[in-house]
Amino acid sequence: MSGLATTRADELTAAAAAPPARGRVALRRLGRRKGSIVGIAGLAVVASVAAFAPLISPYEPLAQDITNTLAPPVWAEGGSLEHVLGTDSLGRDVATRLAYGARNSLAISVAAALIGSLLGLITGLVAGFFGGWVDSVLMRLGDMQLAFPFILLAVVILGVIAERTVLHLILVLGVPGWIVYARVVRSRVLAEREKEYVTAARAVGASGPRTLFRYVLPSVWQVIPVIAMLDLGFLVIVESTLSFLGFGLTPPTPSWGSTLAEGRQFLVVSPWLPVLPGLAIMFTVLSINLTADGLADVVDPRLTKGSFRRQMLRLPSRYNRDRGDDQPLLRVRDLAVEFPLGERVVRAVRGISFDLERGQTVGIVGESGSGKSVTALAIIQLLDAPGRVTGGEILLDGQDLTRIDRKAMAALRGRRIGMIFQNPASSLNPVLTIGFQLTETIRTQLRLPQEKAESMARDALLSVGIGNAEHILRRYPFELSGGMNQRVMIAMAMAGRPDLLIADEPTTALDVTTQAQVLEQLRDVTRASDTSLILITHDIALVAEYADAILVMYAGQVCEAGPAETVIRDPKHPYTRALLDSLPRADTPSGARLQAIPGELPDPTIVPRGCPFAPRCPCVLDISWEINPELVEVGPGQTAACHLWTPDEARGAAR
Amino acid sequence: MTQPLLDVRDLRKHFVTRTGRLSRARKVVKAVDGVSFTVGVGETLGLVGESGCGKSTLARTVLFLELPTSGEILFEGGRVTEGEAKRLRRRAQIVFQDPYASLPPRMRIEKILADPLAIHGLADRAAIPERVVQLLRDVGLGDGVARKLPHQLSGGQRQRVGIARALSVQPSLIVADEAVSSLDASVRAQILNLLKDIQERQRLSYLFVSHDLGVVKYMSHRIAVMYLGEIVELAPADPLYERPLHPYTRALLSAVPSLGRDGRGRIRLEGEPPDPGDPPSGCKFHPRCPLAQPICSQTAPELKEWLPGRFAACHFALADIEPKPRPETAT
Repeated sequence: MSGLATTRADELTAAAAAPPARGRVALRRLGRRKGSIVGIAGLAVVASVAAFAPLISPYEPLAQDITNTLAPPVWAEGGSLEHVLGTDSLGRDVATRLAYGARNSLAISVAAALIGSLLGLITGLVAGFFGGWVDSVLMRLGDMQLAFPFILLAVVILGVIAERTVLHLILVLGVPGWIVYARVVRSRVLAEREKEYVTAARAVGASGPRTLFRYVLPSVWQVIPVIAMLDLGFLVIVESTLSFLGFGLTPPTPSWGSTLAEGRQFLVVSPWLPVLPGLAIMFTVLSINLTADGLADVVDPRLTKGSFRRQMLRLPSRYNRDRGDDQPLLRVRDLAVEFPLGERVVRAVRGISFDLERGQTVGIVGESGSGKSVTALAIIQLLDAPGRVTGGEILLDGQDLTRIDRKAMAALRGRRIGMIFQNPASSLNPVLTIGFQLTETIRTQLRLPQEKAESMARDALLSVGIGNAEHILRRYPFELSGGMNQRVMIAMAMAGRPDLLIADEPTTALDVTTQAQVLEQLRDVTRASDTSLILITHDIALVAEYADAILVMYAGQVCEAGPAETVIRDPKHPYTRALLDSLPRADTPSGARLQAIPGELPDPTIVPRGCPFAPRCPCVLDISWEINPELVEVGPGQTAACHLWTPDEARGAAR
Repeated sequence: MTQPLLDVRDLRKHFVTRTGRLSRARKVVKAVDGVSFTVGVGETLGLVGESGCGKSTLARTVLFLELPTSGEILFEGGRVTEGEAKRLRRRAQIVFQDPYASLPPRMRIEKILADPLAIHGLADRAAIPERVVQLLRDVGLGDGVARKLPHQLSGGQRQRVGIARALSVQPSLIVADEAVSSLDASVRAQILNLLKDIQERQRLSYLFVSHDLGVVKYMSHRIAVMYLGEIVELAPADPLYERPLHPYTRALLSAVPSLGRDGRGRIRLEGEPPDPGDPPSGCKFHPRCPLAQPICSQTAPELKEWLPGRFAACHFALADIEPKPRPETAT
């Protein structure tokens, strides 16, 4: 069948992947934090007071009443409902002054934040996208401005203006804010500009401005509301500070800062006068900051702190652990691993079992999401939280690794179980020399004195075919090629002569000629110390060449296992067969057409009722949709989980 | 033969880097160093090599996504210059490796496919939705995909969208830069077959760049092997795999793990490709070459046609056939 048909699995995965509408998700995220709800409510109160100031205040903000000065608020002795919050030294109603003050304060701050963010967004976009001298000039201007204290700058400018209006304050507070936004936007643009979709936009012929506004802008603007919200809180404070210092709105225009300053003189007689505007400022800024926090979550969900605590497994042991002589080095039974992610649970590994004899190599083959890497991480107990083993046993020489404590496991790592990863450069510390890292590992693992560890480090490098060990020991990881770093990792993992080495895609990041060298080295060094090897890879051809046994995984299950040579020569499971047929090989005759597997990989959050491969299987049976097949023996040492191979009576019984 | 669709002549792309933050010394990395080849109408030219050999830079330079340092690119008979890049992009497109990174994350699929049409004025506003649906069908996707965002699609579906975007301008050449390398095995074959079907239907030409020798073999009519910025061998696919002329090609082929072989008789290359900023003298491959002779470190061999249609840059290309190396004349 051609790959053109959209299959059932296509639709299934597409439907599963489609999240609910974006707006709803955003609201839910905002609502998840109690703080942000309080913040929004507080902000709503302040905003409505500001908006409806003329309606809710019974007095004019400037109306004086010399006969009734410094009246106390309603709850104090002598207070009356006439002036709920009392009056000031000129007999003006404090509640009215504060309501109008909120009006001015918010209007100035919001407008200033808008101006700053707009200017900053534009300059940041331009500087980041076009780079070169444009970028240099803009950023140096920003640096110069930041070198001068912001409030001082405002005071200097406002000081020379005789009649300071709302507009003056908006400009003085707003315009200098551009640099805060511009810097963040610029750095995000720089990151986006390197991404392939920007090159792709150029490749389809999009002009510079088109690329910037249509392609880059949608990915960078989200930071603006968060910074603007934080900026808003800052601006409310600065506006009040300026008023307090006498550089705000020219009196008698009401503002929180000037009310505070006037009230200060009557602190002893009327303590509420300075306290009330102070509370108003605090309440507003706090509300704004709480809202900003929630907003940051909406814009960047990665910032949300989830529950990453891993729960320990408490399960009764079902297998006897007598250490007979026939016990393999590693015995995995019914291993299950889950990742609870919010409401969904990813069942990454769903009951896999295998044995690994001492000195043998097993290759675990699978595509992404098959659970092959998770299996490896479960064995060495290094699953990323919140992943956890939810069932089964991992017996290393009869000891169940899922049930030993953290300390005992740490003692096993390195000495009995070693692991190497796909990307050696990120597994090594970039600021320490190879020699230091290797010696340190050997010294702590084997508790050896320094000199002894150093000579062992040299030997370890020699054992993986690094001839000029002295030279390499003095290098840093970034000075070496990927292949060389991976050899260092192998040397490091093998230095403690572990019983078991797990190699997770050890050569996927390497070139084909280097890959062959590294794998041969890996084979030689594990053979020399009788170490068992688990080779995890997506490349079935690698396993054919370097492993004794093979485990083919699909959707968290083993679908076929057996001696590598047999499984590859005579695969019994339709998936194994299809996988082998779909590989373009150097010896495929030209003109031949690949047998593609239709459909897509299954969604790991959906556990199918029947066989997970059923939607893509060319020989699917009715029963495949109903019952998940068990592994059954299909040849000497070879097992497959497919209803084609389940005995008729078992199938009948199941039906 | 009729005029080729793409004719690349002695193309070079050099990058100049400063060696240190403070030092003034500059290093020239010759990512593409004098490469010539042609791609015929309806033909696929495979470009294979290891990382750092310059194959991706070459692919991008051909489309003027990188400006060439020197050399000529003739496309559809005319010489392409920087100012004409837009005309080139109307007829030559690219499919990238990473289907996750190469689609704008916050653009709906329909907009991604409609934008090239708008840029080149290829369809009326009213006709665009219909054309988008047609493009999606051409790559085996349903209409429902149009309203989705890239992150809502699987890797295979995304790469199909990437192909549809390239097809939207009805190009005559598509450069596929590791277009299937990040896809899972079971999805990869679908995409390869899709590319082949499209080629047949629309008589497209491909410049198919990949590090995977199996994939290149499957897709290509002719194959160019690159090493350190140069083409070391260029030949039709079958003979290249049956009897490679260049020792590097031989080593590359023998390094590929293959089913049903245990690695015996493998040509094991020593070391790793040298630093492209400081390549060896003479033949760039000589320090790792099992056949190297004194001449190899002194004189760089030229890409010569040793057998009909088969080019190799090696002093001893026919060494295992004829005992006498270095023919006087090359035809």
